[in-house]
Amino acid sequence: MIQVPELDPVIHAQARLRVVAALSALTSGDRIAFPRLQEVLGMTAGNLSVHLRKLEDAGYVEVTKTHHGRTPATLVQLSQRGRGAFEQYTAAVQALLNPAPPSIREERR
Amino acid sequence: MTEHFGDRDSTPPAAGHDAPPADLAESMRLIAAGRAAAARRLQPDPRLIFWPWAFSWIISFGLYFLHYGPGGRVFVDLPGWVPGATLAATLVGAGVVAGLAGARAYRHVFGNSSIRGAMYGWTWLLGYLAMGVILGRITPDLPAPEAGLLWAAAAVGVTGLLHAAGGAIWLDRNLFALGAWITVTNLAGVLAGPGWHSLVTAVAGGGGLLVAGLLAWRRWRAVTA
Repeated sequence: MIQVPELDPVIHAQARLRVVAALSALTSGDRIAFPRLQEVLGMTAGNLSVHLRKLEDAGYVEVTKTHHGRTPATLVQLSQRGRGAFEQYTAAVQALLNPAPPSIREERR
Repeated sequence: MTEHFGDRDSTPPAAGHDAPPADLAESMRLIAAGRAAAARRLQPDPRLIFWPWAFSWIISFGLYFLHYGPGGRVFVDLPGWVPGATLAATLVGAGVVAGLAGARAYRHVFGNSSIRGAMYGWTWLLGYLAMGVILGRITPDLPAPEAGLLWAAAAVGVTGLLHAAGGAIWLDRNLFALGAWITVTNLAGVLAGPGWHSLVTAVAGGGGLLVAGLLAWRRWRAVTA
């Protein structure tokens, strides 16, 4: 009987998976401005906001409001927790796609 | 820049986007797509970073070699100012092209990377400033061929060490290898003497920059495809 690891429901959604994957490509400690992230992903502002809010509620994304001169700016970054969750998700998907021998599976659990 | 984050009620979320991926292969595809989009937009095309300097060195030091050849030989009789003016113009041009490509990719990204990049940029400026002041003080007392060799060798030397240091900062083996290659070939050129140093810098140094750009571009393309 194959044990199916739980896939994190916050990340296991089409749009949020793309958002988290893109944010994970930033160097740890870097923040990206909201409109720039929107441009990178080709998502509408409203759509991206909804998904970021869900990620923020889960503690996976940190959203900072700041000012550059007089212009307000919203900066987005993956939190440590979010980075960890994404790595776990990727590992889980890879494990499901390429099942390892049972002994390794036991260690993993 | 406009404030978008607050207006989340203006566009209803697309319901389909909240759905889980159809299968696990679709998950992997979405991860790859997200990372590729980020890499394509947030990292400059390496050709635009390396190749302008490569062309500058190949053309300019090629002209130096042709006009100020080994043992005072003149292979092509140019006005004496042409190689230096070509070097200055192509270096400025390369700085503009590479600077714009970098600025375009890194705009609106803040944090550790931009601090690291700014410190690295200032280090280049400080390196050339120190070199210019020191050599400007010393080279008037040297014969022209030795003075020219000293300027070229010092400038190429600073470039080689900073490329190697960049490899250490970004954990980029190819960048470190480029720095080491430029440093070693620069020393070989110095030992060979005035004239030969120009040829070595054009062929080995400029060629090294071309190859480094090609390798970095292939890696970039593999991620962004």
